[in-house]
Amino acid sequence: MQKLSGLARAAAIASQPEARVKELRRESGKPVIGYLCCFAPPEIISAAGAIPYRITGRPGEPTAEADAYIEPYGCTYVRNVFTQGLKKRLDFLDGLVIPHSCDMIQRLYGIWTYYHPFPYSRLFNVPHQVTPWAERFLKREFIFFQESLEQYTGEKVTEEKLRREIELTNRNRALIRELYRHRLENPPLIKGSEMLSLLLAGGWLPPEDFNGLLTEALAEVEKRTPEGPARPRILVWGSLLDDVAFYRMIEEAGGDVVADDICIGMRLFEKDIDISGDLYDGLKEHYFVNFQCPRTDRGPGLTRFDYLLERAREYNIDGVIAYIISFCDPHKFDYPDLRDYLKEADYPMLLIDDNYSFTPAGTIQTRLEAFTELLGS
Amino acid sequence: MSSSEMKRAKRHLETTRKMKDMLPRFFMRTFERRFSNEPLAWCMVGVPPELLKAFDLLWEWPENFGTLCASRLVAPDFIKTAEGDGYSPELCTYVTNTMGYCKRWIEAGEPPEESPMPGGMGNPTMLLGSGFLCEPRYKWFQAIATRFLDVPVYSSDPLAPPWDVDPHDPRIAAHYKDLLREDLHGQVEFLERHTGKKLDLDLLREIMALSHEALAYWRDTLMLRQAVPCPMGSTDYFSAIIPQMYMVGEQDAVDFYREMYHEVKDRVERKVGIVEEEKYRLVWFGLPPWFNLGFFNYLESLGAVVALESTYNVGDWFEVELDDPLEAIVERAWARTVRMHEYGTEAMPELCNPAVFGGFVGSDILKEFVDQFHLDGAVMHLTRSCRAVSFGEVHTRNRLAEFGVPSLIFESDMADPRLWSDAQIKTRVHAFIETLAGRAAKR
Ligand code: SF4
Ligand code: SF4
Repeated sequence: MQKLSGLARAAAIASQPEARVKELRRESGKPVIGYLCCFAPPEIISAAGAIPYRITGRPGEPTAEADAYIEPYGCTYVRNVFTQGLKKRLDFLDGLVIPHSCDMIQRLYGIWTYYHPFPYSRLFNVPHQVTPWAERFLKREFIFFQESLEQYTGEKVTEEKLRREIELTNRNRALIRELYRHRLENPPLIKGSEMLSLLLAGGWLPPEDFNGLLTEALAEVEKRTPEGPARPRILVWGSLLDDVAFYRMIEEAGGDVVADDICIGMRLFEKDIDISGDLYDGLKEHYFVNFQCPRTDRGPGLTRFDYLLERAREYNIDGVIAYIISFCDPHKFDYPDLRDYLKEADYPMLLIDDNYSFTPAGTIQTRLEAFTELLGS
Repeated sequence: MSSSEMKRAKRHLETTRKMKDMLPRFFMRTFERRFSNEPLAWCMVGVPPELLKAFDLLWEWPENFGTLCASRLVAPDFIKTAEGDGYSPELCTYVTNTMGYCKRWIEAGEPPEESPMPGGMGNPTMLLGSGFLCEPRYKWFQAIATRFLDVPVYSSDPLAPPWDVDPHDPRIAAHYKDLLREDLHGQVEFLERHTGKKLDLDLLREIMALSHEALAYWRDTLMLRQAVPCPMGSTDYFSAIIPQMYMVGEQDAVDFYREMYHEVKDRVERKVGIVEEEKYRLVWFGLPPWFNLGFFNYLESLGAVVALESTYNVGDWFEVELDDPLEAIVERAWARTVRMHEYGTEAMPELCNPAVFGGFVGSDILKEFVDQFHLDGAVMHLTRSCRAVSFGEVHTRNRLAEFGVPSLIFESDMADPRLWSDAQIKTRVHAFIETLAGRAAKR
């Protein structure tokens, strides 16, 4: 069989996301620690001698197993992820890290660890206001997180190790930014679904491997020449998207996703973590102060969306698709404000309210088509 | 469902019935002050009411306003207005109730006439939010101040240790208490700036003392409900939370809770229950359906009495040194956190009084409650729009099942009656009562 590389390899990884960490675990004896969301830095997990692994769901799969433990009224993504655990698909994990990002994620922690105790588990607490005291709290929380990991792995997190891990992921970030640059072109040289499949692979691979994958993909993309006529350029905003299916639907509908404001997207990669000063300050700025997720209160007023407008202009977008998962409070609360803000700036917006299944596919597809048509006209 | 036969709630205590006279008097007094252009805050449970009182501030509780709108059946109107504005029907209906109310108010230039209080909620000069309990609570004031009212906002942000972190570890305690303390100081600084007044610590201490006296009577009253037959039910309970919200630090509130305590104690001594034949004793989880508090009377008509509620439960964590009253607020919040931790909940602490809720993750306290209150079963209200309080009920049901205590979980909402169906709920309740009867027969 021909060895896959670059984008094809990234797509293949999705069929068995845990293969690489399992292999590493076998070879190195290091524990694998699964994590959700973007607040507990995976760099600290690696620096403590463990292998971080981003847990993802399987959109559309039934979650009836979860009913014995949690309520039907809850984020369908959270229910889905928990179901993966109940189905024993995550049994290769030695540990679980859940940050206090939103209510649903935070509440899941207690239930999950009660019914399924892991050798290591940690709720990483995160304030919702950006105040000096919240920042001080977060820095202390980094230290508690680090200590708990050290205690579990028996390895000390030295400044040197942490710096090295951050340098590695910063290298990932630089390569991702290179790739994003090719989305500035019109038509973009890399499709939204291809980009997301790379970013997803980054959550499943150690950063060294990810750097290799990104380098391959970059070489591949750089060889491309723009193809076909330009299509409507779309920015996707909203809840978690950890499956390429939705971006593919947009592409099929005749649009190109060229920018995003979602969990696994630009907000994680658009800047490096600053390592010129205190490393924890750098992590705090990156994962909290400058991390644009509506779960953090940025105060009232529409100017809180200015960063998004800048992004929309930079990527020369034609419209925004909001993807919101049912019962997702942070995004559902922001939706009317954002809609008004974008209207003021003359960007059309389409809301897709979904239960993390992209169904009924026909209806969603028709709506996406109507929207891209509108943008194209 | 406005035609529900469970709409009207019957209270059993003289004291709570008397609130009908006491509260309007109080509201008239504050209503008059509104015309003097004094600062007025809309605030949330989680903001210490004693602090507001110490600033002699006028205040409104939009959450409580939500319960009032719900009980007067005007909430759906406001909620629909918010839905028309793009707010999802899945969002907390206390929030969407206020959003719809504000929209109508701003558009018409005067408070909507459906408002259950004359003149509606006063015009705020500031919003004091709190992220305690849930994230809708800070998104709520963010949205109000973005869309309708251009006033300053302070949202406090208390956090609590998760269930598997030891709050007795001094480093952990300091970690969390520092956040509570610094946040409280931030709140005081905000209040001083926007009221133009300096916080009077002596006054705050006096207010705290009165508030704690009232709370102590309230707590002791709740403990009396361990008695068989149970001397007080949920309709009295959910009414009696109000004086401490509005009249905190007032002698009237102390008198109210003292009187209630003596009335309930007297009932215990005389073995007066709230139903003729008390067959089953229940614990209630979740927010009540404010539009149908008569649901509790319906349970009572079947011989089932609620002896304990998980929400708004005041607990016993307010016995703290008052010398430094601000530090006392921190200590009280922390004592509460530690206590909650013993429950095994992952609740965030509040910097004031009541509100305990479901989700007992891994503690023994649930078993203690079952024994102390002689509980036969649990009724849990799964509120679709408030996951913060109802998430964890399935787990609590599982835990209770370990002690042989069955639970009924029924779905509806705290403010929006559109999710309520008398027929369905009655069928479920009847089936549940049969389970309880079956168990009683076996014993
Ligand atoms: S999709 Fe929304 S509710 Fe679900 S985990 Fe993410 S932020 Fe939380
Ligand atoms: S706790 Fe529930 S009812 Fe209260 S504000 Fe939060 S979501 Fe709404």
